[in-house]
Amino acid sequence: MTKSNICIRGWGAVTTLGWSAEESAVNLIAGRVHPAAACLSPHLINSNYRAFEIPYSGGSLDKARLMLNSVLDEAIKRAGLTAAEIAESCLLVGTTGGLFIRNEYEFTETVRCNPQKETPAIACRNRGPGEVSDWIVRKFGIKGIAMTFSMACVSSSHALVVAAGLLEQGKIKRAIVVGYEPLLNLTLHGFASLLLYDDDQCRPFCKRRSGMQIGESAAAVIMEQDVPIICRAGNTDKEKPPAANKHVYKFKGGYLHNDNASLTSAGVDGVLVCSVIGQTLRKAGVPLQDIVAIKAHGTGTQDNDLSEGRGLWKLFGEKLPPVISLKGAIGHSLGAAGAVETAVWLSCCEKGIIPRSFGFTEIDPEIGFAPSQVNTPAACGAYLFTYFGFGGTCTSYLIIKE
Amino acid sequence: MQKIMNSVKDKQKNITSPTPVLAAGYLGPGLRPDHDADWQEDLLPLNVDDLVLEIVGQPMRRAGRFIKMVCCGALICLKKIPSDLLKNKKIGIFLSTGLGNVDEILPFITQVFKHDGGFPSPNQFANSVSNAAAFFLSRICAINGVVLTVSQEELSFESALWLAQSYMAAGEIDCALVGGCDVFTPTADDYRQRMDLRPDNSRTLFMGEGSSWFLLGKNDAGKIGDILPVLLDCGDNGLPVLSAGENILWECSEIISSTGGQSKHRILLPGFRLSRFDASFWIENGWFVEDYLPCCGIHPTAAAFGLVRAMLGPGNGCYVHYNCHTSGRRAIVAAVKS
Repeated sequence: MTKSNICIRGWGAVTTLGWSAEESAVNLIAGRVHPAAACLSPHLINSNYRAFEIPYSGGSLDKARLMLNSVLDEAIKRAGLTAAEIAESCLLVGTTGGLFIRNEYEFTETVRCNPQKETPAIACRNRGPGEVSDWIVRKFGIKGIAMTFSMACVSSSHALVVAAGLLEQGKIKRAIVVGYEPLLNLTLHGFASLLLYDDDQCRPFCKRRSGMQIGESAAAVIMEQDVPIICRAGNTDKEKPPAANKHVYKFKGGYLHNDNASLTSAGVDGVLVCSVIGQTLRKAGVPLQDIVAIKAHGTGTQDNDLSEGRGLWKLFGEKLPPVISLKGAIGHSLGAAGAVETAVWLSCCEKGIIPRSFGFTEIDPEIGFAPSQVNTPAACGAYLFTYFGFGGTCTSYLIIKE
Repeated sequence: MQKIMNSVKDKQKNITSPTPVLAAGYLGPGLRPDHDADWQEDLLPLNVDDLVLEIVGQPMRRAGRFIKMVCCGALICLKKIPSDLLKNKKIGIFLSTGLGNVDEILPFITQVFKHDGGFPSPNQFANSVSNAAAFFLSRICAINGVVLTVSQEELSFESALWLAQSYMAAGEIDCALVGGCDVFTPTADDYRQRMDLRPDNSRTLFMGEGSSWFLLGKNDAGKIGDILPVLLDCGDNGLPVLSAGENILWECSEIISSTGGQSKHRILLPGFRLSRFDASFWIENGWFVEDYLPCCGIHPTAAAFGLVRAMLGPGNGCYVHYNCHTSGRRAIVAAVKS
C-alpha cells in the first residue's frame, strides 16, 4: 500500500456539454448529449469533419483563452484557493496542439480579410506547447514550477500522475494540472489522414465502431498532499471558505508506462493493457474486486477498443465493473483527455451518478462486453481511469471517493 | 547579502541532490558528434542522413529530421557506456524540446491549407506529435518504462533535468537519459519569431540547433561528473541584468559552495536570454566565462548543448548554466566535472 495521501481539492472543465465541469456533468447525466457536428469556428477550413465543438460566437483565439480562463476559475473557486495558495502552486500542463490555433487563426483571418490577394504560406509562429503554461502563470500569478507535457493523448493524464509523484516526494506543495486542446485543422486532417476518423459517430467498444471524433475541451485539476482543511467534514475554520465538495477524492496508484512495440497501438491482444492496470492496482494496494467502475479510454477506434476491451476482460473477467467511455458524449480531447475526463467524472460523482456510455449499439464478440448503458449510483470506492496514446504511452490511476 | 543567501537556501529546499553523470554526448548544427564544427546559419539545416547511418546503423526512412536528431544525439551519448552496464536497469527517457517537431508540422499544415487540396502525409502527422521522437528513441534503445516529453520553451531542458532528478531520487528509475533537441527550420527570421527573440530580450547571435544528452545514474563508479541542484524559480523581477548581477553571481556561488565545490574553478555558461550579459563583471569576481552559444547557435534547448559540451571539454571545474524566460522565470543548473 502506498503511503501517498494525494487529495483532489478542486477541478473545472469546459466541454461541448457546458462551460463548466458542473454543467457538463448535469447535461451528461441527463443525457443531453448532441452528436458531433460540422464545425463553425472561423479558423476551421473543412466542415466535412464532424467534431464536438464548444459553441462560441467570437473569434477562435478569444475562445481558446476563455476556455483556459474558465477552467482555472472554476477549479480555483471549487478548491477555495487564496491568492497566496495560487502563487505557491506548481503548474503542469498537458497539451499537444497548445496555442498552435494562433497560426491557423491568423492565417485564415489573413485570407478572409484579403480576398483579392494571393494566399500566403502559413507561418508557424507559436512558441511550442509551453506557451500555454506561460499564458496561465502570467494570468493567474502562479510562481511555482511550470512544466508542459506534450505526449499526444496521454499529455494531461501523464501530467496528473507526475504531479502526484512530485507531491508524494514533497517536491511541490500543490499542483494545478491543466489539459487543453482546441480544435485544430492540424489534428482534424491529421487523424483523417490516418483513417482513424469516423465522420458519422464515435462508438466506443461497439462492433460498428470505425474511428474517433475529436472533442474540443479544457480542464484543470488541483491536487495536494493531505486532505486540506476545507475538504474535511465539519470544517469550522472561519478563515477558510466552505468546502465546495461533498466528498473527498484521493488520487492513488498513478502508473505510466511506455511500450515501444507500436507507435499507434497498445497491442490488440490486451496483454499490455492488463499489465498496466495490474501495476496500478498493485501500486495503490487496491484489490480488483474493489473497483466500482472504470472510466476507459474508449476512443472508438478499432485497435484501441479491441486492446483495451480485451485487456479489461482478461483482468476482470465476469466480475468486470461498469465500463464507461466519455468519448461518445464529449469526443476525444487528445492531450486534454486526462484532465477533462477526470474533472467531468468527479462532478458526476459529486452528483452521485456514474454516467452511461454513449454511442454504443452492438456488442463486439471480440471484446465480449458492452459499456455501461444506464446511469448508475456513484458509490464511495475506487474508480479506475485508463488512457492509451500515440507512441506506446499508457496511463492508469485510481480515484478513491470517500 | 544574508538575505540573498537565505533566499538561495529556501529555494534549495525544493531542489534535488547531485546526480552522477555516466555519459554525455552532443550534436550541434555542424553535425559532428561531440565536436564544435564550423557552420553557417544560411546553410542550415544540414542533411543528417549519413550521420543516421553511422550512428543508428540503418536509415530512418519514416522519420523526419527532428526525430533523427533526437535519436542520433541520444545514441552518441548511450554508446559511450558498455551495454552490460544498463542491463536490467530501469531507465527513463526525458526528452525536452522547446518547439517540437516543427520540421514535420510545417509541411503537413502547408498541405492542409492548400487551396486546391493538398495531400497531407499521415506519416508526417504521426511523427509531428512531440513524443513520437521519444517513441523512436525508446524503440531503438529498447527502453520501456517512463518516457516523458517535456516542453517549456527556453527552460525545457532544465525542467526535464529537474524532473529526471526527481524520478531518480524517488527510486522510480535507476538511470535517466535526459536530453534536449530542437532543430533549425527555415527561415531564420521565422525561427526567431517563433522563439520570441528580440534585441531587448535575448543575445544577438545566429540561430542554430542541437541534440545534446546526459545519461544520469545512481553510482559514482565511472562517472564523468555530477549534475548539482537544478534550481527553477519564478524570478519576480523580469529579465535579470547580468552586467550588474551581483545577486545572481552570489546565488550561483552559493549553489556551488553548498555542494562542496568551492575549491574548483567556477565557470559561467550564459544562456541566450541574457541580453545584457557582461562577461567582465563575472571575470572581475573570479569566474571564468565559457560562451558556448557561438558553437550551437540559439535554439530553445541550447542549455543542454552548453552543459554537455562543458562536461566533455578539456578543463574541469564547477559549471553553472544560467538562463531565464521572458517572463522572468529563471533556471540555474550547476555541474561539476570529475
